[in-house]
Amino acid sequence: MSDAVSALNGAEFNGLAKVVETGLGGMITLRGDLASDRIKAAVKAATGTEVPATRRIAIGAAGAAAWMSPDELLLMVEYDRVGAVVAKLGEDLAGAHHMAVNVSDARACFAVSGPAAREVIAKVAPVDLAPGQFEAGDFRRTRFAQVAGAFWLDEAGVFHIVCFRSVAAYMFNLLSTAAHPHAKVGVYA
Amino acid sequence: MKRYSAFAVAREGLRYHSGWDRAWRAAAPKRHYDVIIVGAGGHGLATAYYLGKNFGITNVAVIEKGWLGGGNTGRNTTIIRSNYLQDPSAAIYEKARSLYEGLSQDFNYNVMFSPRGVIMLAQTEHEVRGYKRTAHANALQGVATEWIEPARVKELVPIINLDGPRYPVLGGLWQERGGTARHDAVAWGYARACSDMGMDIIQQCEVTGVRTENGRVIGVETTKGAIDCDKLGMVVAGNCSVLSQMAGFRLPVESVALQALVSEPIKPCMDVVVMANTVHGYMSQSDKGEMVIGGGTDGYNNYTQRGSFHHIEETVRALVETFPMVSRLKMLRQWGGIVDVTGDRSPLISKTPVQNCFVNAGWGTGGFKAIPGSGWAMAELMATGHSPLAEAFSMTRFKEGRFIDESVAAGVAH
Amino acid sequence: MLILECPYCGVHAEETELQAGGEAHLKRFGPGSSDEAFHDYLFLRENPRGVHLERWRHVNGCGKWFHAARCTQTLEVFGTYRAQTSAPPQDIRDKITAKRPGWTWREFEG
Repeated sequence: MSDAVSALNGAEFNGLAKVVETGLGGMITLRGDLASDRIKAAVKAATGTEVPATRRIAIGAAGAAAWMSPDELLLMVEYDRVGAVVAKLGEDLAGAHHMAVNVSDARACFAVSGPAAREVIAKVAPVDLAPGQFEAGDFRRTRFAQVAGAFWLDEAGVFHIVCFRSVAAYMFNLLSTAAHPHAKVGVYA
Repeated sequence: MKRYSAFAVAREGLRYHSGWDRAWRAAAPKRHYDVIIVGAGGHGLATAYYLGKNFGITNVAVIEKGWLGGGNTGRNTTIIRSNYLQDPSAAIYEKARSLYEGLSQDFNYNVMFSPRGVIMLAQTEHEVRGYKRTAHANALQGVATEWIEPARVKELVPIINLDGPRYPVLGGLWQERGGTARHDAVAWGYARACSDMGMDIIQQCEVTGVRTENGRVIGVETTKGAIDCDKLGMVVAGNCSVLSQMAGFRLPVESVALQALVSEPIKPCMDVVVMANTVHGYMSQSDKGEMVIGGGTDGYNNYTQRGSFHHIEETVRALVETFPMVSRLKMLRQWGGIVDVTGDRSPLISKTPVQNCFVNAGWGTGGFKAIPGSGWAMAELMATGHSPLAEAFSMTRFKEGRFIDESVAAGVAH
Repeated sequence: MLILECPYCGVHAEETELQAGGEAHLKRFGPGSSDEAFHDYLFLRENPRGVHLERWRHVNGCGKWFHAARCTQTLEVFGTYRAQTSAPPQDIRDKITAKRPGWTWREFEG
């Protein structure tokens, strides 16, 4: 089998913030009745986390679960484990109305870190990023300039972005431009 | 009314310009008119003008809730062209364009018609094919347009960037006799000529009701009292749904905001009109030197004459791609107008379910260029009950499946 | 800039995250209905100057369709509500009535 590679091979930019393409991530779209006990149990088994609250991400030992919409989660596990996890979800949810699909290779992932990370995201997404309005564990689907994307903030203060692989280069260029050393606004400073 | 002439300018120059007449009379409504036109914009005034000029009907009132030419007539980007694909559109827009050529002489009033040429850029293979087809169609329709290659585009528009980051310029549809005119002057010229024929132009007079009897219109209620009429023409663009509701019928239109903006004035740099429909930006340079820029419509119903800011961003982005030199320009003003859009993006010039009540609406984002032709056809329809130019634009075309699908042919900037 | 609250994810989304979907609560007329009804369904849309009920989609967000009650004359938003209804709910009607007493929209009124 051929070696899987990420869209930009770990491209990196250092400016006001550090922008990194974080490589391959295992991602599963899970749709179903998020309030049902069977989904809750299946998510727990797959990622070790509870079903996240609205617009939140739950991060556990074996992975993470992010709230995408009232009937959809994004499960994140190690890239190599995705096949097994999807199979397990199929078993756990057999007979329950659901859908679990491996979307890992349809996506690209980025991390934006550093003191100006908040400002870099705020420049390109129509989201209130004021401290207190967007905090660790918050998850948001939105647009980044002209493309769709989702992002969350982790406990270490790093923003993680997920978008379609086909627009990975656009996203990297966009974030790098927003993080250009001469582009400081200082709105959250 | 005194005629304008070089001699008159010289004479008035010697007496502190104290001898000019008002261009049109302020009028109070009479009890009855043969024809009432609602809406003193370009299309309404042109309708009144051709009723008088072509059919001798001069007992006419043009009533307006705001001020004359204060709606879309005073808010558009003044582009005049007739390079349409469909026969009915090409016919009426070409009629309008050819009337524009003689309008200043007709009125004895300078509407500053400037046939400087209009290029519609082709930036995708589909557009190339589409515009070549339009050029062939225009040849059959008697509209002078031609397909031009990128080198010729660059010759006509030296400031253009042929190989933009997203869409290269692959050629263009060139209409040499297209151009611009001074939009206010068109309304003022028509108003002056109408007033001169004895018609009453009544401003700040809002229609509050339409009176009908046995399915036939008999007059209107206004903020200046009831006025009787034999025939009624509704020519109010964005507000046509509101007015038609008063008369008891519905129109197949939705009203949305369309925006435009102008830059600070700069030295002459572009002497044609350029439209880039794929990236959606169009631009010309006014006599004052301002770059006049057309924007996009919002996707939702809106009567506020105010559009959303992100459309400005999109438009400016498109222009910076196409004309990199404008990236350093400051924008001076931005405004919006309410345009009424039909399902097939073509207008309505039509009889209505109410007898003797006629409607001229639905010009969407491209009404200014049609003003003389639209007024000509509407006047003919109102005076005689039939107009070859207007026939295809009947509001019954939707029921009959005879759409005039220019939205497909012309793209966004229609 | 129009801001609507998505009733599904609670985001106060500005309009670049949203897509307008036209008149709300349409009744579909297809084969078997009269020409008149089919014409009206295809081509006639409510175009009020004032209270308007619309469909919107949180397209750059949770992806869900929802409804909005809005004034086209002032851009005031009265409220948003879920898609799974064929009529505006009472609380939305009350909100509109509080601001626009005597409002009517198609077959609905305050």
